[in-house]
Amino acid sequence: MLSIKENFLETLKRGNPDRYVNQYEFVKLLMHPYWTATPPATPGGPPVVNPWGVTISFPEGMPGPFPIHDEEHIVVKDVTKWKDVVKAPATSYSEEDWAPFVEEMEAIDRNEFFVAPFIAPGIFEQTHYLLEIQNCLMAFYEEPEAMHELIAYITEFELAYAEDICKHLKPNALFHHDDWGTQKSTFLSPDMFNEFFLDPYKKVYQRYRDLGVELIIHHSDSYAATLVPSMIEMGIDVWQGVMSTNNVPELIEKYGDDIIFMGGIDSSKIDKPDWTAEETLKIVEDVCRAAGKRAFIPCNTMGGPESMYPGAYDAVTEAIKVVSKKMF
Amino acid sequence: MSKLNEVKEMVQKGRTKKIAGVVQEALDAGADAQEILDAMVDTMGDVGDAFSRDEIFVPEMLIAAKAMKLGLEVIEPQLASGAGEKLGKCIIGTVEGDLHDIGKNLVAMMIKSSGFDVIDMGVDVPVDTFIEKIKENPDVKVVAFSGLLTTTMPALKASVEAAKNCDVGNFKVLVGGAPVTEEYADEIGADGYAQDAGSAVTVAKELIASL
Repeated sequence: MLSIKENFLETLKRGNPDRYVNQYEFVKLLMHPYWTATPPATPGGPPVVNPWGVTISFPEGMPGPFPIHDEEHIVVKDVTKWKDVVKAPATSYSEEDWAPFVEEMEAIDRNEFFVAPFIAPGIFEQTHYLLEIQNCLMAFYEEPEAMHELIAYITEFELAYAEDICKHLKPNALFHHDDWGTQKSTFLSPDMFNEFFLDPYKKVYQRYRDLGVELIIHHSDSYAATLVPSMIEMGIDVWQGVMSTNNVPELIEKYGDDIIFMGGIDSSKIDKPDWTAEETLKIVEDVCRAAGKRAFIPCNTMGGPESMYPGAYDAVTEAIKVVSKKMF
Repeated sequence: MSKLNEVKEMVQKGRTKKIAGVVQEALDAGADAQEILDAMVDTMGDVGDAFSRDEIFVPEMLIAAKAMKLGLEVIEPQLASGAGEKLGKCIIGTVEGDLHDIGKNLVAMMIKSSGFDVIDMGVDVPVDTFIEKIKENPDVKVVAFSGLLTTTMPALKASVEAAKNCDVGNFKVLVGGAPVTEEYADEIGADGYAQDAGSAVTVAKELIASL
């Protein structure tokens, strides 16, 4: 039996894994001082102002935090004047700030697991956190130059922080969030997406590679099938969060030589108050049989190894073990 | 190109910085305000259809709606009733526990563009607040509920049930949102289901025709 890492590497090189890579088992996600400099909003807790000045709330029962975007709280009210109001957070933290994360990193067995810093929000998400999503989406048409400038500024922050992250955590993987679509469509047309985000992401992901990262995992729990060629060009190795609306089997057929699809098990179907092991097993088996074994990692589409409802994530893990025994 | 066609193009392409001038030119050239409004409403219908066919994306919808709004500001003083043909009131909101607003906002924009008076309740709206608003507006024609999370589908069901049982006026209930299906809409007793913002207008018009 292959080790967890050996099995993942066999999957990555389209070789001979002896079972499915089981959700996030191959990677340990690490936080870093950005997350502790300003503690993030917690479920049911009070709103917090994040390091970019965006006020974030996390009401109880929601799957994740939301920016507050009433008139009072929108950071960038006029994108042509973004330079007056947007100030990137520090990218340099003290050794003391890094110490707990370095300690956590050093305890990870790299023979068995990849080590990946957790980066969120992504560049697109950051723009609409700052502007409010509708204003942001219209700004791509109305003020494209200002949007390019703002995106370049956010990208510079990511590039600078990558240096510090890699110096301290020495990651061999990256787990980077940026939701690029709804459940049914991308937010932007592929052409517009490429115009604004392809080069920035190529720069960011190449910088991490230059600093020793071997594996780029990008999370977008959305429809984004039409952006897969762009993902490949950016250097993404694994698209995590791929929802069933993307037609995963078709994507594997078309792009399975160039990118791994991690997901297929929609959070909305298995992460609910009345989940059962039987129903989860059926959903997982259906997904795995449709997707096959090549270039696919069955996983809850959630952007981390967790679920909203206790036990739902672990039920998927158990179901994948059962299905693996049948299919390998 | 006729001035009316230019107005249509300004809406379709979302030319927010130019449309006011073009609408004014159309008026100066003798076009009737109602005629300009009809042209813009028709164009927004086409925009909604293109969105339903996945030919355009959310930014194109938003920018077209904004262009129409700016064009409307130019002709509004000349419209006899203030905003041309009225289809009636529509109360819309995202149900309690759900903070997603963009889908609901797109539906509100499209419905408003088609001639409804829209009362937008925002997001995370408790059932009782919806009912209070319905009681304040007994002439409401359509009440539209949005829910984007599977976790808030019970709230969607509760909102529909409360609206259907509130014994006020004569209106139809429309639902939509990513996890909602036609089957689920039927199951919870909604009168109509809209798959997206483009089709919401068609469904809303069909619903009021059946009142």
